Amino acid sequence: MSGATERPDLVVEPTIFELSSPGRRGYSFPPLDVPPVDPVEIFGEDQVRGEAPDFPELTEPEVVRHFTRLAEMNHHVDRGFYPLGSCTMKYNPKVNEDVAQLPGFTRLHPEADEAHSQGALALMHNLATHLAAISGMDEVSLQPPAGASGELAGMLIVRAYHTDRGNPRSKVIVPDSAHGTNPASLTLAGYEAVEIKSDSSGRVDVDELRRIVDSETAAIMITNPNTLGVFESRIAEIIEIVHGVGGLVYMDGANLNALLGIVRPGEIGFDLMHFNLHKTFSSPHGGGGPGSGPIGVTSKLVDYLPYPVIARDEARSRGVEYYPDYERPKSIGKVHGVYGNFLVMVKAYAYILTLGPGGLRRVAENALLNANYLQRKLEGHYELPFKGYCQHEFVLSASRQKEYGVKALDVAKRLLDFGVHAPTVYFPLIVSEALMIEPTETESKRSLDHFIRVMIDIARESESNPEIVTGAPSRTPVSRLDEVRASKDLDVSWRRR
Amino acid sequence: MPYVPNTDEDRREMLREIGAESFDDLIAGIPRELRMGSDLDVPGPLSELELTRHMQHLAAMNRVPDDVISFLGGGIYDHATAAAVGHITGLPHFYTAYTPYQAEVSQGTLQAIYEFQSLIARLTGFDVANASLYDGATAGAEAVLMATAISRRKKVLVSSTANPALRSVLKTYLMATDLELVEIPMDSGVTDVAALEAELENAGAVLVQHPNFLGLLEPVDQIGAIVSESGAPLIASVDPVSLALLKPPSEYGATIAIGEAQSLGVAVAFGGPLLGFIAAGRKHARRMPGRIIGATNDAEGRRGYVMTLQTREQHIRREKATSNICTNQGLVALAATVQMSLLGRAGLVELALQVAAKTRYAAEQLSLVRGIKLKFDGAFFREFVIELPFEAGTAKEALSDAGIWPGIKCGCYYDDMPNCLLVSVTERHSREDIDSLVSGLEAIIVSRGV
Repeated sequence: MSGATERPDLVVEPTIFELSSPGRRGYSFPPLDVPPVDPVEIFGEDQVRGEAPDFPELTEPEVVRHFTRLAEMNHHVDRGFYPLGSCTMKYNPKVNEDVAQLPGFTRLHPEADEAHSQGALALMHNLATHLAAISGMDEVSLQPPAGASGELAGMLIVRAYHTDRGNPRSKVIVPDSAHGTNPASLTLAGYEAVEIKSDSSGRVDVDELRRIVDSETAAIMITNPNTLGVFESRIAEIIEIVHGVGGLVYMDGANLNALLGIVRPGEIGFDLMHFNLHKTFSSPHGGGGPGSGPIGVTSKLVDYLPYPVIARDEARSRGVEYYPDYERPKSIGKVHGVYGNFLVMVKAYAYILTLGPGGLRRVAENALLNANYLQRKLEGHYELPFKGYCQHEFVLSASRQKEYGVKALDVAKRLLDFGVHAPTVYFPLIVSEALMIEPTETESKRSLDHFIRVMIDIARESESNPEIVTGAPSRTPVSRLDEVRASKDLDVSWRRR
Repeated sequence: MPYVPNTDEDRREMLREIGAESFDDLIAGIPRELRMGSDLDVPGPLSELELTRHMQHLAAMNRVPDDVISFLGGGIYDHATAAAVGHITGLPHFYTAYTPYQAEVSQGTLQAIYEFQSLIARLTGFDVANASLYDGATAGAEAVLMATAISRRKKVLVSSTANPALRSVLKTYLMATDLELVEIPMDSGVTDVAALEAELENAGAVLVQHPNFLGLLEPVDQIGAIVSESGAPLIASVDPVSLALLKPPSEYGATIAIGEAQSLGVAVAFGGPLLGFIAAGRKHARRMPGRIIGATNDAEGRRGYVMTLQTREQHIRREKATSNICTNQGLVALAATVQMSLLGRAGLVELALQVAAKTRYAAEQLSLVRGIKLKFDGAFFREFVIELPFEAGTAKEALSDAGIWPGIKCGCYYDDMPNCLLVSVTERHSREDIDSLVSGLEAIIVSRGV
């Protein structure tokens, strides 16, 4: 493949502030139909701002062109493959976007009476019920607005449960392959993180676990399948060991895509888990949110769920069947100002209904099939630290390429030149030069074959022409950016220079 | 199965390449006894047509301001959004992209967030704003954690005039910490400054909302002065629209500004997604939660943007991170950035002036009705409290039949205000809308012979 510099001839897009010209406006209001007010008079001189905020001044076509140009600098799922491990970058169905824009949802105020919001409350109740059915949990609260928020809610539930039994306990066990949000969330819930090493198969070291659990173990947080793409096949033992000392078992649902219709975590002994609606249930990531991280629990923990939980009672009152239930005295309280990211829930609900039970199972099957196909085709060209069939994702190491001076980061950057997004790199932390690859079920074999060809070419380039890989990317709007300078000469808001 | 491209033939071929007999081989690592014995108990599958019909049915069960005249607010406001906003956030380049981990192919998202940060900085008067937080309530909780990390003191003072949702979320966030939460009572609808002063000794953070939940302007100069003197960081929870007219938090001694920016181009959407923001002075940048985007250069000297100061964050620092936040409200921040760009300097001021004028008109007209009085005397912005001669719920129910929602019952949040309504007005309300609220309430009062 040609590696010549072919950077598109793009001019750097100025900031919106540099495009501003005094006197321009991009939006107009109807004429004021009530008497005008003078801010100094109504608020008092000491409350009023000397000068209006220095906002840019542009017309609508200028604003639209600016943001459209910015848009064109992004890689995105609608354009091409996005194999970011543990991020589940699947296709985002269009009809879900459309139904989430229905005015009956977007213009509904959360303080509207229950009788006037039955459609939204029914949707939330139904979604929570379906998530419970999919996970084997007994009840689900949709409140957490992101996965990390679900984790925090989960850890506070763990704390409330143990506190009720006389001792909140002090420690939560996390595998060394866990997402960074796990230790950060449990710390916020007042626990100390105890890291447990993975064994040579990439799974939790069960003997080590047996040694470290004690009466201060509040819980273990497990991502299953884990971030190495491996199912914790001794999960029953793990659960038994932790339950044996009175601890709880939390599942980080980041990788639930692999289990849909195959395993219900609540049925096999997990006590609580969070879902990532923006991963498993297809709502778009939006360049970093909004997500949604519902938390589900088994019966012994339902009292502690964040309130309100959307409940159903046909006899509640006139015109009201679904309602936000705040009558939960043991609840950990609220983790979001209102109900969570409602419009994300709308999309996840639409997704579940579109797929149905068979479709959800096929999601998992094809996610696994695609991942195993890629793993098999690439293992001859890159080091595969953990052998055997993977689940929905797998981790390669660029250790062989390193001999030629090519690091995982370089492979990632070179992929960008071929219109493919890079895998997750340097994670999990326990694999050196890690490339963590998750294709998802929405990629075709043709798209996977393209990725395989590009990856093999990069492996060859790494030997024959490593500079082209270490100097990549060369076809993106910008080349590698100076991160050290960004943090040293901190420039995080635009100023006229 | 519209979203899975593999055909049966593809599957057979791929299994062959993998060297597996069947799909079952691939899940051999999952012990058989752990696998489900039955199908998932969920409805579907539905075709696009059936799904749309079902969703339209659910949406139609909700009543929205196209059917009624609503004066509901309380932190979430029904402003008009410029048409262009939805067209930009609807570009798949933005909404189907992930977090900008690979900067070279994410410059669009990164620069847009940088511009969001810059706009929030200009509104609040601070140098550093982050890429967003979930909502105003969690922003308040994050700010308290940040402030107490700065002050290293344990007592957290929160005014009871701050949004009840924020106070409630704060309680949750602090339940497992060693921080002590003290609520400062109100006096005449604003923070009781004497009570605040009495608690200031050893305080590690003070949170005040301005304008407060009841719409009233707080005595921020006075509060800023005494809090600064105590050494506790002051957190100002602010309404971004109000900042077109009101002094920014940086000018009255606040250390951190937070707030809810839903009012800038984001639908009310049953309360989510919302848009939390946080801003502070440069020296506190390293204690700030969440993502921050910084400008830099590429290898050839072109300007470009990256996620910066990542060593604060959970994916690097794990249990020592400043916060556990990862996914935030990226696309919502983009919506607000586009809306703010379209409004521009003059549009933002006009929006705030229209809101102020209409709110004032509504308050004046209502106060002329016999039996209605303004609960508080102080200056207000965008909402105000009226007191009726009977329980507020009665008025709400009676007016509901006429298609008017007069406001939020204050009694839900403050026990001593059972007869009070919090009335919120935006630029969407016409004079006629306001007049029908006035005549509607008047008619109820007359009919009840009060």
